[in-house]
Amino acid sequence: MSELIKKAAALLESKSVQVVIGYGKGTGNRTRTIFATQVTECENLIFDSRCVQNLAVYLTKLEIKKLGKPAIVAPVPVLRSILQLAVENQITESDLVILGITSESELIDFESFAAIETFLTTHKIEIEEKYTKTIDAIKAMPVAERFAYWVKELESCFKCYACRGACPLCYCTRCTVDDNQPQWISVASHPLGNLEWHIMRAMHLAGRCTDCEACYNACPMGIPIHLLTKSMLQDVADNFGSYGPSLDKQNTLSSFKPDDKESFIR
Amino acid sequence: MTEFEPKIIAFVCNWCTYAGADLTGTSRIKYAQNVKIIRFPCTGRIDFMLLLKSFGEGADGIIVSGCHPNDCHYTSGNFHARRRWIMFRGLLDMLGIDVRRIQYSWVSAAEGFKWADIVNSTVNTIRELGPYTEYEKVAGYLEKEANQ
Amino acid sequence: MSKIGVFICHCGENISATVDVARVAEAAGQLEGVAFSTDYKYMCSDPGQTMIKQAIKENGLNGVVVGSCSPRMHEPTFRKACQEAGLNPFMCEMANLREHCSWVHDKSEATTQKAIDLVRTLVEKVKLNKPLFSIQVPVTKTALVIGGGIAGIQASLDIASAGHQVILVEKDPSIGGHMSQLSETFPTLDCSQCILTPRMVEVAQHPNIKLMTYAELEKLEGSIGNFKATIRKKAKSIDEDLCNGCGTCTTKCPTKKIPSEFNTGLGMRTAIYVPFPQAVPNKPVIDKENCSYYQKGKCKVCEKVCPTGAIRFDQEDELVELEVGAVVIATGFDIMQPSGFPEYGYGKYKDVITGLQFERLASASGPTLGEIRRPSDGKIPEKIVFVACAGSRDPAKGVPYCSKICCMYTAKHAMLYQHKVHHGKSYIFYMDIRAAGKNYEEFVRRAIVEDEVNYIRGRVSKVYEENGKLIVKGVDTLLSAKPVEIEADMVVLASAAVANPGAEALAQKMHVSYDSYNFFSEAHPKLKPVETNTAGIFLAGACQAPKDIPETVSQASGAASKVIILFSKDELSRDPLIAVVNRSPAPVFSTCVGCFMCASACPYQAIGEELITNRQGKVIKKVAKVNPGLCQGCGTCVAFCRSKSIDIQGYSNEQMCAEVIALLNHE
Repeated sequence: MSELIKKAAALLESKSVQVVIGYGKGTGNRTRTIFATQVTECENLIFDSRCVQNLAVYLTKLEIKKLGKPAIVAPVPVLRSILQLAVENQITESDLVILGITSESELIDFESFAAIETFLTTHKIEIEEKYTKTIDAIKAMPVAERFAYWVKELESCFKCYACRGACPLCYCTRCTVDDNQPQWISVASHPLGNLEWHIMRAMHLAGRCTDCEACYNACPMGIPIHLLTKSMLQDVADNFGSYGPSLDKQNTLSSFKPDDKESFIR
Repeated sequence: MTEFEPKIIAFVCNWCTYAGADLTGTSRIKYAQNVKIIRFPCTGRIDFMLLLKSFGEGADGIIVSGCHPNDCHYTSGNFHARRRWIMFRGLLDMLGIDVRRIQYSWVSAAEGFKWADIVNSTVNTIRELGPYTEYEKVAGYLEKEANQ
Repeated sequence: MSKIGVFICHCGENISATVDVARVAEAAGQLEGVAFSTDYKYMCSDPGQTMIKQAIKENGLNGVVVGSCSPRMHEPTFRKACQEAGLNPFMCEMANLREHCSWVHDKSEATTQKAIDLVRTLVEKVKLNKPLFSIQVPVTKTALVIGGGIAGIQASLDIASAGHQVILVEKDPSIGGHMSQLSETFPTLDCSQCILTPRMVEVAQHPNIKLMTYAELEKLEGSIGNFKATIRKKAKSIDEDLCNGCGTCTTKCPTKKIPSEFNTGLGMRTAIYVPFPQAVPNKPVIDKENCSYYQKGKCKVCEKVCPTGAIRFDQEDELVELEVGAVVIATGFDIMQPSGFPEYGYGKYKDVITGLQFERLASASGPTLGEIRRPSDGKIPEKIVFVACAGSRDPAKGVPYCSKICCMYTAKHAMLYQHKVHHGKSYIFYMDIRAAGKNYEEFVRRAIVEDEVNYIRGRVSKVYEENGKLIVKGVDTLLSAKPVEIEADMVVLASAAVANPGAEALAQKMHVSYDSYNFFSEAHPKLKPVETNTAGIFLAGACQAPKDIPETVSQASGAASKVIILFSKDELSRDPLIAVVNRSPAPVFSTCVGCFMCASACPYQAIGEELITNRQGKVIKKVAKVNPGLCQGCGTCVAFCRSKSIDIQGYSNEQMCAEVIALLNHE
């Protein structure tokens, strides 16, 4: 760990960056995000298996941007988000310093986004079997039962938008759910509004989601909304081949192949 | 009890299906009154949010139709739309929204007969499925709240 | 506040027969925001339009909904009427009560209710319409004509003679098309080449026409007034500037047994060839597929004998990009290969030929120098049977339509035969004689009366060979279905006219509509017969449907006049139904976050970047920006934008949402 601290301190010292975004000790057994702007604050940086929050979310936040150029502690899920943000023109290479870190706490330098992509080819998104099983089980339900299952699950949603806030890819200045001309989705948290919100959220992440599960981890009600995005990841793979961010590949939904296959259009 | 008359909304592109439906008219081919068309410039313009809105507003079924692949007036709007539909359909299916209630089709400006057939078969499918009460129940909360 | 006027048209009885128009007008009048509502017999007529204009002025209407026919029919009419009354034309919408309602439903309460729903939907839309202003775009005054048959030739000459530049692209080595293959033409029997070749020469010599033969359209981008066409000039293996057309190469070429396309396989040609003596340009091309040098690496005789050193074996296809303002499609037709009906024995018996092959036999420039000699042994046939509707009007053969030209050319064929073989006997099996046209019926009568051609009303069931004769079995339906059997020496099939094999692919390249037979679709069957649904692209000749020469020439001139009208102005105005990126007050400036998914989805590369800077010139934000000159208004970007920051004028999010809600909610 001392290596991460040393490196972060050196970056601040040399004024290469103005802030280091990383994990620190929180209350109890929890971790929290720290934004170190002073060399001394780097002492608080930690990294272990509890550090699952997706820090990439801060890269597009105005308040953080104001602090100056950041260095970001980036385990694999964060690297994926960084790459996707790069694909979507939200960050450029000179905007940040990436403190790549493996699950064994080994530091890796990334000189470019392309280097991240190369690294990620050996760290592909894989949907764990427990999830594929759950998804299969849901899909195996009769349609009415499946609908009832989700209506029930989404019943507890009170539209706190923590899922949106935690997602590194929900960086819009104005979210369409807050739009009232026209009012696409009703603001109140009733079953229809909740359903529509979660459909929209999932659709907006279609072909973009990097499966970091930040949305699910942030949900105070534990609604399995990550199953929706995971199911869509499977759909991307099934219909269009591979998934996962790539600099020279267009986003799934803003590109096409003339011979894309489907079986439901008459 | 009167027979259930499905409410079906059709989202069609101006260049192929709208023109095809015009040809159905010019050819005096009859079809059910249940389907009403909204004209879009291109299937590429058809936002999934509008399909969602339709169910929320009480549609029992939806038709989405445009130019055949390679025939898009705007080159590739229908190709983009097709990808979007593939993803959207998968998501709806996962959520238990009955995907049989949305009929996607390619109807060219020359396919007046096909349009009549799409309309009639969709009306029949929705008649068999019955009113979309599951969704209405969900949507109904809104009205209840408003009435209280 | 909305003050909408609703005008319900009876369309004579077309709408009012099944829709209670008075009730629709009444129901519309009760909608919120509707200030005026009425119905009238013919809304598009002069008094109808005057009624709209008066209502706009008297009631201060700020929106109009006309419930009548399809907007694809009369939207421009009513928008213009509104404009004349001082209302922005884009504040007028149409509810399609005819094609989408009255014509497709029986008279009933539900039909009237649907009409009301459609009107209400458009009323809710028009409430959200905003005044829009046309976009002016410059016009490139060069026309691209695709296809060098009589249609393309006529269109090119007309446009060029009006003073505009024309690029005429022909896929074959020479212009002339099918007309150059014909012997004589009905109903005058004047020689086809005699009337065509002067036109071909005129094309070659016209200062405003640039001729590109052996070339095909590769790609077409852009839109009316400003297309960008990419033409593939296939390698001719000849330096055209050096070649003087002496013809030495074609006489010396050792590969001489290639079936000539021009002579429909009845004659032979060499590997380096000019398709026919009057070809324009009269310069050869090398058919690589059949050339010994290209296939085996040996020969080069043509190169050795060429006095000007014009042979270029290393020549490659060339792609040429051209800026054009309008396109005329004149790609013609093909004939159905009669192998589709084995019962007639085409391909099996040499003396069963197509009508087009008969043209070559009858032509003075043909393989028999105009003598009617049968292909098998060169004998003059004593008895000849013509089969009309070989494929045409036969849904089982995939051609339910009438090929239109066969009745006339079959009469002509029989007549030519009788003129050349005085003692011969000719029979025509026909379904109906369709001879509508100036002097056409008289022509057919002449064949029957003066030339004693035997017309038998009935179909041929079978043709087979027996003792050196072709036995034609058919039925004469006029004589109580009596079976007929004729021992013929030759059988000529009036093979159906079908679309060219490449028609579908070409239509897709140009984004024009085509019908289920792959003929190109006109914008309106009656009132826009030369326009396509794609503005700036016009049709001439048999690529739209089978046509004879006079009709083809008229349509070609029609298409040319449409091009000339388009070129008569330096600028044309385009509908402003294009995408725009929103703007909001500082510090947001625009809700666009600059992900540029819209840009990668745009089929026209119409979306670029815009940098929003502060007073010091520092970039605050990078957002998407639509180039109004390039945007065609498909709206694909709109559906992609997650934050709804890009919207399309005329089909905006608010408008479409309002339509959905209005359509589904009726009490």
